[in-house]
Amino acid sequence: MLSFEFSRHVLDNGLTVIVAPDPSVPVVAVNLWYGVGSRNERKGRTGFAHLFEHMMFQGSAHVAKNRHFELVEQAGGSLNATTWFDRTNYFETLPSNHLELALWLESDRMGWLLPAMDPEKLENQRDVVRNERQQRYDNQPYGDWDERIQRLVYPADHPYQHTVIGSMEDIGAATMQDVTEFFETFYVPNNAVLTLAGDVDEAAGLPLVEKYFGEIPGGEPPPPVPGRLDPGAVIGSTVRETVQADVPLPRVYLASRIPPFTDPEFYVADVATSILSDGRASRLYRRLVREQSLAKDVVSYAFPLVTGRSFMVSWVTGFPESDPAELEAGLVAELEGLADVADLEVARAVALAETRLLRQVEQLSTRADLFSMYEQLFGDAGRLNHEVERLRSVTPAQVRTFAESTLTARNRAILNYLPREAQT
Amino acid sequence: MSAPARLREYAELPQPGPIRPFHLPPVEGDRTAQGLFVRSMQRTEVPLVSGCLVLDAGEATVQPSRAGLAVLSGDVLTGGTEARDASELAEALEGLGVSLRVSTGWDATTLSFTCVAERLDETLEILSEVIRTPAFPESEVARVRRQRLAAIRQRWMDPAHLAIDELDRTLFPPEHPYHRPLSGELETVEALDREAARGFAASRYRPNGSGFVIVGDLTGQEVMDAAERHLDGWRGKVERIEGLPPVRFPAERPVVIIHRPGAVQSEIRLGQPGPARSPAGEAALDVGNAILGGAFTSRLNLNLREKHGFTYGVRSSFSRRRHGGSFVISTAVQTDMTVAALEQALLEFRGFMAEGPTEEEVRRARDYLAGVFPLRMETAAQLAARLAELVIFDLPDDYHHEYRGRIREVEPAVVKETMSAHLDPERAAVVIVGDAQVLQEPLEALGLGTVEVRTAPTLPRNGTDVSEEGR
Repeated sequence: MLSFEFSRHVLDNGLTVIVAPDPSVPVVAVNLWYGVGSRNERKGRTGFAHLFEHMMFQGSAHVAKNRHFELVEQAGGSLNATTWFDRTNYFETLPSNHLELALWLESDRMGWLLPAMDPEKLENQRDVVRNERQQRYDNQPYGDWDERIQRLVYPADHPYQHTVIGSMEDIGAATMQDVTEFFETFYVPNNAVLTLAGDVDEAAGLPLVEKYFGEIPGGEPPPPVPGRLDPGAVIGSTVRETVQADVPLPRVYLASRIPPFTDPEFYVADVATSILSDGRASRLYRRLVREQSLAKDVVSYAFPLVTGRSFMVSWVTGFPESDPAELEAGLVAELEGLADVADLEVARAVALAETRLLRQVEQLSTRADLFSMYEQLFGDAGRLNHEVERLRSVTPAQVRTFAESTLTARNRAILNYLPREAQT
Repeated sequence: MSAPARLREYAELPQPGPIRPFHLPPVEGDRTAQGLFVRSMQRTEVPLVSGCLVLDAGEATVQPSRAGLAVLSGDVLTGGTEARDASELAEALEGLGVSLRVSTGWDATTLSFTCVAERLDETLEILSEVIRTPAFPESEVARVRRQRLAAIRQRWMDPAHLAIDELDRTLFPPEHPYHRPLSGELETVEALDREAARGFAASRYRPNGSGFVIVGDLTGQEVMDAAERHLDGWRGKVERIEGLPPVRFPAERPVVIIHRPGAVQSEIRLGQPGPARSPAGEAALDVGNAILGGAFTSRLNLNLREKHGFTYGVRSSFSRRRHGGSFVISTAVQTDMTVAALEQALLEFRGFMAEGPTEEEVRRARDYLAGVFPLRMETAAQLAARLAELVIFDLPDDYHHEYRGRIREVEPAVVKETMSAHLDPERAAVVIVGDAQVLQEPLEALGLGTVEVRTAPTLPRNGTDVSEEGR
């Protein structure tokens, strides 16, 4: 269904390069995935991978502080970076005549970051990131849900037990020494995938990549991810936490361990979450929102994580007068109900997922990111072209088996938020 | 510890290559026999078609006493037709892989969809059924009303929403629609019923005065034919609403704290009424805003974030609607730095207005805005949304095609003059959602105006809803 042209090369220093030409608009997306995320953090330094991502915007040997943003913005480009469990990605989308600018900036910080680092910049970005955490987690209704859910789903020695943002304390404890070590350990070309997508072809793009990245020496392979990576297929029981918080409406979260993204069964889980909450004919919406009027809104999705076990989460927001026990029972019933899913429901979920994928890859920046992702996580950028077939191959029987084996009471983390004022 | 500094062969900033032209396909279109404005753009590269039906049925057309009616009616629109109930309708669309999204803003209610090209006819047939024969079933009205009431309560506990809602109440007079939150207040939404929704739809969901937009691999003629074929049975005319109450700056700068005891951060809004959406002066305002607070490297963000570390980010933006709008500087900062951050924000705002931008800043902002423009016109859905703006704001068909040219002509003096014609930092209202016990004294000491402390609307323990009195 998808047939994007692309080529793949590995430079002598180990950097993997994907070039995916598409001349339809004079725009190029540059996307760089480093194989490092919150899973690689050590104890006492939660949140460091993300803080380090911020430091990557503080300049490098030949780029002054703020110049990275200035140069890309004045070139008419957009840029950002995100940190996630298994990776950190950096990306620029810009008019294609500025391709070299993006390559120069990315290579300067891959090869020559440390000379530009200083304690003042670290102090500044520690403050920025602590504010980010407060804004997104601490000053936001339900803002800490993932922190709580991850602690319930994973044991203490699993790297997904802590969040990407990390704790306020750990963010504040980061030192210059940490910056140096982290950079030298993980920000090596052999731990990265660079994708160029858009108005550039292999003949023009590859020599430029070689020119700017070629002189960066390769490094040691990064150390193994710390911790016990496979915590087991299921949680083992129903674990729960109830929080009274400044939230307007009761909400129940239910999470389960699922196979990792790299396991074919992950696609079954992905389609299952789509059956649950994608669109208004979905199970949770139809039953809990429309028919039973139990819920105000519903969400369900599977995290595409690769380290040991991934997880899926569903949540249901009630009304002020809702009985949280009833909300929870409603959600559990729909998850268990997937054991009798109808063929048509699977077909609908797959049709919606297909349209969503086609919409995503319409955007060059997303297409580039997906190429980097499949290369970094699967060693196979070309998987992108087979995603539609992979979704279509999920059968109703597989969804039923998945529900019966995985969505059971032995594999549930339940987190209830209750409005504080309702507790008297 | 670290290796000795390695030299770099290519230490110099590379020069850009020659500019590659960006061609936006032309806008085509006409009016159907029923008076529906049709606008389309042909894109051959993708297998997808995006489209929308743009109804002149925004929340600004609703009387203040029925605030929330446009939003509620839009939400119930997909709640079933004469022939199908809500779930049957959802199944039919989603079986095609289509999500039909209804979104209601101040100026329009928009039904938008994206489908694969071969499903377009089936999709339009269902769209036509929805707009021609909506059923507005009692059960769906009741359900949506309950959802909307719950959503209003959610806003009360979300500091960012609290801040912007309070700012709008401060900037616009009570008789003006922009005074209130888009989706209404508890009292007005509680009073909405099926008859109100049906009446609203009957008067405002009409083809003559509405728009139909398609972006995909279809010629203008094919789109016109599709509109005639699928939507001809939809009839009637919608009346434009003109002349909303005038908006004036308050005589004295309002300074308000919404008290949230123990809040770890403060949401700060610094804002004032702003100009309506129109091409006049728009390029100069866009350039000015990018420099002040619109871009990452804006004066505000470089100061508050990159220099002081007060915040994760600060932005300024114009919200330009059909009948006016607002200009707002927004940020969330750690509680103990709130007043310091406000001081720095005002310093930047005042400095910019007094001196205007530098040549260099204007050059960079022009290049930024002209360059990112194609990035926002990439997908069929993005383009459809841009075409919808032509209908909503009565913009000429070449409006988007000419935008970059207008941006490139902007000069520093014009930026200063145009920004000054609309903005005045000495009268901008200040709204802070945060811990008043910590903030009130230092804020008063700043001498911006009389500080008024309010409490957030509260949730009832049980029974009827209680919102704060005296607004």
